Amino acid sequence: MKISELASKIGLRSFNPYADKEIQGVYISDMVSDIIGIKGGNLLITLQTHKNLIAAANLVDVAAVLYSRGKTPPEDVVALAVRAKIALFGSEDDTWTLAKKLYELGIR
Amino acid sequence: MVNVRSGYLVTEGCFQCRHRISFFSEEPVPPVDHYQQGDHIWSYLGSSQAVKFDLKCKKCSREVPLKELMALMLCWRCDPDCGVFKSGAADPEWKTWVYVALCADSSHERGTCVSEESIWALNEYFNADLVDPNKKIIVVPCTLRRSVDFCQGIVLADVGLTELY
Repeated sequence: MKISELASKIGLRSFNPYADKEIQGVYISDMVSDIIGIKGGNLLITLQTHKNLIAAANLVDVAAVLYSRGKTPPEDVVALAVRAKIALFGSEDDTWTLAKKLYELGIR
Repeated sequence: MVNVRSGYLVTEGCFQCRHRISFFSEEPVPPVDHYQQGDHIWSYLGSSQAVKFDLKCKKCSREVPLKELMALMLCWRCDPDCGVFKSGAADPEWKTWVYVALCADSSHERGTCVSEESIWALNEYFNADLVDPNKKIIVVPCTLRRSVDFCQGIVLADVGLTELY
């Protein structure tokens, strides 16, 4: 499933312009040191809005970052994500609810 | 990525000579004691949750232990005279991203850094799974960094989380 299709289906708020990419998997983590081991193309769901997370997400070529529970990234984080071509989205849902919705849409 | 261990990246400094060192601690709480070592008196400067890992080739099973690697840091291109900046300066479109492999001897007083083999393995590993064909990751040793004090790079560690405990 493409990022844009997912955003439309579960009503995600976009924080930056993005290139549409295929979501190849999902990973949930709030720790920068944890995500440097994941594979490229993942959708990363997190509460962590710090710039360090984008630096790590860029290293492993994450397709998009989805902030749960209404978290909003600061401007410098959005600017780094724009440069790294990483789509940033937000949702009012908590992480568990988002995980259920993604599973129900067939994203594994 | 194999042998992944969780712990703390601890940074210490000597206020007499201004040298910095760092180490990885697997203790439940990172050590904060001052201690003397030769001419240095090392004081705790900070810590963050981090992981250490080694790399293993999927084809030949050869393992590269990353003993000297303390953390990775994204270059923010803050200093055109810095060797790290120059490693990625040829790409104004930001398709090439330079990450610095930080070693324990931050001031390089002993003249050692992350080994060439480790740098090679890190480059191979992080470029192997990139989805974007136009993107390139370059990992360089921290000896290329011009100043540990003025560097504005973004360290890939969980800065701030330790203070909660």
